[in-house]
Amino acid sequence: MFKLAYKALIDRKIRSVLTILGITVGSAIILALIASSSGLNAGIAGNIEKTGANILTIRNAGGFFSSGSTNTYQLSQQDITYLKSIPGVIAAYPYYSYGANINSGGESIQASVVGIDMVALPVLYKGLTVAEGSIPLLGDTTSAAIGWGIANPVSGTPIGLHQMVSMSITGIKGSKGAVSYAVLASGILAQYGTALFANIDDTIYISFQAAGLLAKSPYFTGIYVIVDNTDNVATVQNTIETYYSNNVRVISPGQILSSIQGITGQLTVFLGSIGAVSLFVATVGIVNTMYVSVMERTREIGILKAIGYRPKQIMGMFLAEAALTGVIGAFCGLALGYALSFLMGGMLGGLGGGRVAFGGGGGGGMTIVPVFSTQLIVFSLTFPVLLATIAGLYPAWRASRMNAVVALKYE
Amino acid sequence: MPVAIRSAPAVQTVDVTKVYRIGHVGYPALRGINIKVERGEFVAIMGPSGSGKSTLLNLIGALDRPTSGRVIIDGVDLKKLDEDRLSLLRNRKLGFVYQSFNLIQRLTSIENVEMPLISRGVPEKIRKARSLKVLNAVGLHGKASKRPAELSGGEQQRVAIARALVAEPALIIADEPTGNLDSKTTREVVDQFVQVNKGFGTTILIVTHNSEIAAMTQRIISLKDGLVDKEEYIQRLDSYSAA
Repeated sequence: MFKLAYKALIDRKIRSVLTILGITVGSAIILALIASSSGLNAGIAGNIEKTGANILTIRNAGGFFSSGSTNTYQLSQQDITYLKSIPGVIAAYPYYSYGANINSGGESIQASVVGIDMVALPVLYKGLTVAEGSIPLLGDTTSAAIGWGIANPVSGTPIGLHQMVSMSITGIKGSKGAVSYAVLASGILAQYGTALFANIDDTIYISFQAAGLLAKSPYFTGIYVIVDNTDNVATVQNTIETYYSNNVRVISPGQILSSIQGITGQLTVFLGSIGAVSLFVATVGIVNTMYVSVMERTREIGILKAIGYRPKQIMGMFLAEAALTGVIGAFCGLALGYALSFLMGGMLGGLGGGRVAFGGGGGGGMTIVPVFSTQLIVFSLTFPVLLATIAGLYPAWRASRMNAVVALKYE
Repeated sequence: MPVAIRSAPAVQTVDVTKVYRIGHVGYPALRGINIKVERGEFVAIMGPSGSGKSTLLNLIGALDRPTSGRVIIDGVDLKKLDEDRLSLLRNRKLGFVYQSFNLIQRLTSIENVEMPLISRGVPEKIRKARSLKVLNAVGLHGKASKRPAELSGGEQQRVAIARALVAEPALIIADEPTGNLDSKTTREVVDQFVQVNKGFGTTILIVTHNSEIAAMTQRIISLKDGLVDKEEYIQRLDSYSAA
């Protein structure tokens, strides 16, 4: 039966190809969408997991999160004292963050420069280790811990241990233009990836004191607050927000998660409706193609009836054709959707990570690996087949009910 | 001259009428046909166009239902059968051969011949072997994988005959089978029918305008204005040798 269906489809190559294309596109979009958005969610979850849900980030209200704000409150040492006094807070780490261009054998690499007490690093980024050398000691203003990606750039010269790293730093308040700076690479961090939406691998960690000297000011970029227990995060956040009113921004991983999920949710709905519409159009296309095919093959149906094909056999034959269209479309859709999901993952990754978050200037985007669950693959292979078969029902029924005598006379 | 056969006739019609309705006007195509075709007979149906030949053939072929009267094929009253059963009856007891061959163009000869067996659910191996045997029997050696477009008219009609034969029907119904063929091929095709009738004992009902063809059968039933006009038996000393 399927062999006959296959031959019938081959006989109408172009029309079949177009019909199949419709299903392919529809199912590919839906597949890519689900795979990349679940990849995004997994990525975010991974980020949160690495960072720990017990960390709050305090930033000045003016800045990326509320552009146009006229608020001039700046975070300083007295805020550390206050934050540490809140019940449940076990530590508060101030940090400076700048964007930087590193000169690597003539090529310029974008990076973030973060000045922070180095003891905070393993607390903030769980499992972060040093690959070579060691983390600079407290107060060492000439050494730095270098992210893995900077030590091993995609293009440009690798940076070895104890090598001088020269860079020009941008984004220092009160300084016009870039500031030249050089540090010694005393430690190279192991490959880590993104956490708290900052790409650790593209970051140079200098001592807090060195960053303070660069800033020429007692004001920090932000403060990481470590809470003793995830259950207390909301309470602590509430306390801080009440205390500062609108002067600072408190960012919790949970908040980021929900705001990003909000965006991806909208995106999913939007792209999902495109996919659904295109699948619907494809289904109507199958109805149309099958109907025309039934009409064109009226005589053939007459022959089948004369030969003694039973109504349900004729119906089955046309349904097989429709289902086969669906099967081919589903497989092509799986392949196309697979490719498309990586493209979409890149788009969503730019959206989720990007330069918005914590890294300051050079925070890299999050890499999103689309997730293909078994259910997703099974669904994307069966759903188009089901749709196509349903689309074939009416034309197939018409074929089975044709009058043999009339059909045989049909020219 | 028909041999006495105890079992049911291959075809029997009892007071069969067929009225086509167009709007409120009825056009009677058949006005009470009573014919009987015994098993193994080779019968020609003749008559001018509009005499009801094709209508009668459609009724006997279980493709259409009479307005009144009964059609009995191989002892089975068609009135009692639903669509599904009629399909089964066509598949098991009837074989059709048409003027326009009615082959499926995209399928090869052997695939066309296999069609009735596919419907019947015969396994592929047996199906192929049987179809090939029948194709060879109708003189189409080496043409099994040719498509209808690659065959001559006579060859196409022989594929159609093979398709009718492969199901081992009780009755073959042929509607002007040589209408599209030249005289030489006509002769070949008719010889084929004669051989089938003689060799397999298959009952054959053939509608034709050609009196030469009719003369090669055993009996001619002539229709006129929806009624049987006359019936004549062909007398032959040397039964259906190539005349």
